[in-house]
Amino acid sequence: MRGLILSRLAAFALTLIVASSILFVAVNVVPGSAARSALGIDATPQALARFEAQHGLDRPLVVQYAEWLGKTFTGDFGKSFQNGVDVGPELLRRLPVTLELAIFAFIIANLIALPLGAFAAMRHQRAADKGISLLASLLGAVPNFWLATLLVMVLTLHFRLLPPGGYTPFTVNPVMNLKQMIMPALSLGIVSSALLIRIMRTAMIEVLSSDYIRTARAKGAKEGIVVMRHAIRNAMTPYVNVAAVEFGFLFGSVVVIEDIFLLPGIGSFVLVGIINRDYPVLLASALTITLVVLIINLIVDIVVGRLDPRRVTRHQ
Amino acid sequence: MTTAARKPFNWRRWRLVVTGGTIVGTIMLLAILAPWVAPYSPFDLNVAQMLKGPSAAHLLGTDELGRDVLSRVIHAARLSMMVAVLASLVGLVFGTLIGTLAAYFGGIVDLVLMRLMEILFSFPAILLAIVLMASLGTSIFNAMIAIGIIFIPGFARLARATAESVLRQQYVEQARAIGMSHTRILVREILPNILAPLLVEAAVAFSYAVLLESALSFLGLGAQPPDPSWGNMLNTGRGFMGVAPWLSIVPGAAIFLTVLGFNMLGDGLRDAFDPQLRDE
Amino acid sequence: MSEFRPHAQGAARPALAIRDLTVDFQRRSGALRTVDKVSLDVWPKEIVGVIGESGSGKTMTALSAMRLLPHGARIGGAIALGGRDLVDIGESEMRALRGDRIALIPQDAMQSLNPTMRVGRQVGEPYEFHRKQSYGAIWSKVVELLRAVKIADPETRARDYPHQFSGGMQQRAMIAMGLALDPELIIADEPTTALDVTVQARILKLLRDIRDERGSAILFITHELGIVAELCDWVYVMKDGKVVEDGPVKRIFEAPKADYTRMLLEATPSIHRRKGAKR
Ligand SMILES: Nc1ncnc2c1ncn2[C@@H]1O[C@H](COP(=O)(O)OP(=O)(O)OP(=O)(O)O)[C@@H](O)[C@H]1O
Ligand SMILES: [Mg+2]
Repeated sequence: MRGLILSRLAAFALTLIVASSILFVAVNVVPGSAARSALGIDATPQALARFEAQHGLDRPLVVQYAEWLGKTFTGDFGKSFQNGVDVGPELLRRLPVTLELAIFAFIIANLIALPLGAFAAMRHQRAADKGISLLASLLGAVPNFWLATLLVMVLTLHFRLLPPGGYTPFTVNPVMNLKQMIMPALSLGIVSSALLIRIMRTAMIEVLSSDYIRTARAKGAKEGIVVMRHAIRNAMTPYVNVAAVEFGFLFGSVVVIEDIFLLPGIGSFVLVGIINRDYPVLLASALTITLVVLIINLIVDIVVGRLDPRRVTRHQ
Repeated sequence: MTTAARKPFNWRRWRLVVTGGTIVGTIMLLAILAPWVAPYSPFDLNVAQMLKGPSAAHLLGTDELGRDVLSRVIHAARLSMMVAVLASLVGLVFGTLIGTLAAYFGGIVDLVLMRLMEILFSFPAILLAIVLMASLGTSIFNAMIAIGIIFIPGFARLARATAESVLRQQYVEQARAIGMSHTRILVREILPNILAPLLVEAAVAFSYAVLLESALSFLGLGAQPPDPSWGNMLNTGRGFMGVAPWLSIVPGAAIFLTVLGFNMLGDGLRDAFDPQLRDE
Repeated sequence: MSEFRPHAQGAARPALAIRDLTVDFQRRSGALRTVDKVSLDVWPKEIVGVIGESGSGKTMTALSAMRLLPHGARIGGAIALGGRDLVDIGESEMRALRGDRIALIPQDAMQSLNPTMRVGRQVGEPYEFHRKQSYGAIWSKVVELLRAVKIADPETRARDYPHQFSGGMQQRAMIAMGLALDPELIIADEPTTALDVTVQARILKLLRDIRDERGSAILFITHELGIVAELCDWVYVMKDGKVVEDGPVKRIFEAPKADYTRMLLEATPSIHRRKGAKR
């Protein structure tokens, strides 16, 4: 088990370094654009040069990267080009918003996918299965920002049930917080459930046709026990793997939803960074999202190992 | 397998392909023929006709500048399809190249290339696209490049896996044994044999490209007004949700239908060519 | 036709009676008949062998008696357990019988054990489902059962997961599971395939002991003639879903009537000799 965790950690560190360099290169593909966008099109060449020298942008890319990586590693995310504010603390303020949104959405996705997927598998090739499969294909084609728009149209404009956006911390006003979070979470979660329904269905079909399920029935197990005790646990191993990737995906797609619902999370920080060409902001927020996604994958890699006793003992 | 050819057309096996293909075909056709089938120009302003609901003259209503929504949606299809085709092509070409090379040369080349692909794959796609847009600059062409880059690892993985199984075939070993050049083996022996699954994958990539492009345009990072794109139409429509809901419903429905069509086509093709599912 | 069948004497009715059983799978190309009008009896305290080549429908016949055929199978004919019909009774009635009065020891032990559940818990499930007992009582039964199937150190091994068991131990765990509630009929589907000879011999002895001590009837499926010769009282020979011949083991080996049986015997001459040498 220790060996497994160590090797996963090593792979994680390598991935993080490569990923950060990809981000850094992606942002800096076009040289000189940072100064130009920070100062505007009318900036004189002298002003541009001064800006570049001031922020160290005139040095080779490798040096800039090494410096950025070193600083980031110590928790110094630099200052915003735009207003000189420290990026680090701002990130910390925004992270909980995005985490709440992603977790909330993920819970919704699973609450939809687990029962529907399992039920479809139990009714394999019958009407309920076909209906659920169709639903999954339809949901999978819905753009989440369209769903968000439709939700606002119905729940806010028509029924006046929910606020159109904004954010109140849970600690300040839990009810308001949930009211503001429900639509963003639904938009992300419902769309995510499409894939998860399919995965759960496939995993359960596979498990339900296995010999050990027949054994359970041969012992006289009731259908409820067959499903809850014998099938679900075994279907969870493939399911959790995909669900984790989907959570990462969800976390990565918060940008659009945060923009729509005016949520001050990391996703909208990415947009702030991009619209203002504020590279420290853009890099820091994109890296944070990537980091969270990678950590999720790391945790799941290790936890999924625990879920399946065959893997735990193999590494003991 | 030989009996399959003699059997009458099997509707159950092909229904997804046919339905998806019909949707996709219609949209493609509309996109290509946009200037001829769209009732109005997508740019013509008509202040007298601002924010009018669906009517005989404007089947899907008009927008905040009095432009015909139907015409704009049809023209936007053109742009979406173009981005989807070209981005998928970028992903297909570079992904296939990387995956095939990794499989063919193996060893350290394989390790480095595929590890890099894994990492690229672990990025949330939309985030990577957005970051790329930052440095490339916001334009529809750059959106296309960014989306294409995102597709590379997926195609590379698939190409490597398929190429690997082809490489184990006898005819490739023979070609290697008689000293055929690398390029010739890759192009003549391997490429034709791995293309089918890659093309199926391209259908799925298409639908994803449509989603990504509209998301980027929705954020203002893709197609720039006044050029119509489903994404930026939807974004503009949000400002008029209360008075003109069709501005939000129509472009979203267009994205939905297109994505659905491509997904059905992709799933259908995959199932139809999957020997395991053939007799069910 | 009627040969002397010792176990039928004095018994009111067979433990298991199958009449004209058919099992069909619906395929696109038409129905696939995997069991074709099979009739078969197992009398109380009798060990009945079913032999036949791979794919001859042995497993399908066994699963029919459990009413656990795979998805899409259609069943026809009659099956009775101790005179009680099994084909038309409701699912909950059938469930009450499974594991309690009729038990299955399936073909592939490794695949038949739930990989994410401790062996002991799985072995104890028949008690759990059919007898209202405390957890502690069930656990001591489990340990006792595992000891009965000669698993060393059963208290600890009961806490293992299936993959920590060797192939032979997995098979013995499956047997323990089948024996749990002293069922009147045990259906064992090739429980000794892929085991080495010594383990195999021990398992066969175990089954015979069970018959002798607990009085269960056993339907033993195999394609190894040697085992049939050693273990069974009566044997059915199957081919392509049909019973081609049945009779007392000794007679089948010495004077087979069907060409197919003769072919089977000729294909494995050593069995013949082994059997002959023993007598
Ligand atoms: N799920 C299924 N769907 C369709 N046909 C099946 C299915 N399971 C088994 N069959 C078919 O039923 C026939 C009989 O199979 P069965 O498992 O009873 O054979 P068997 O005598 O037990 O063979 P073996 O000695 O290999 O275990 C075979 O032709 C097999 O292909
Ligand atoms: Mg069998």
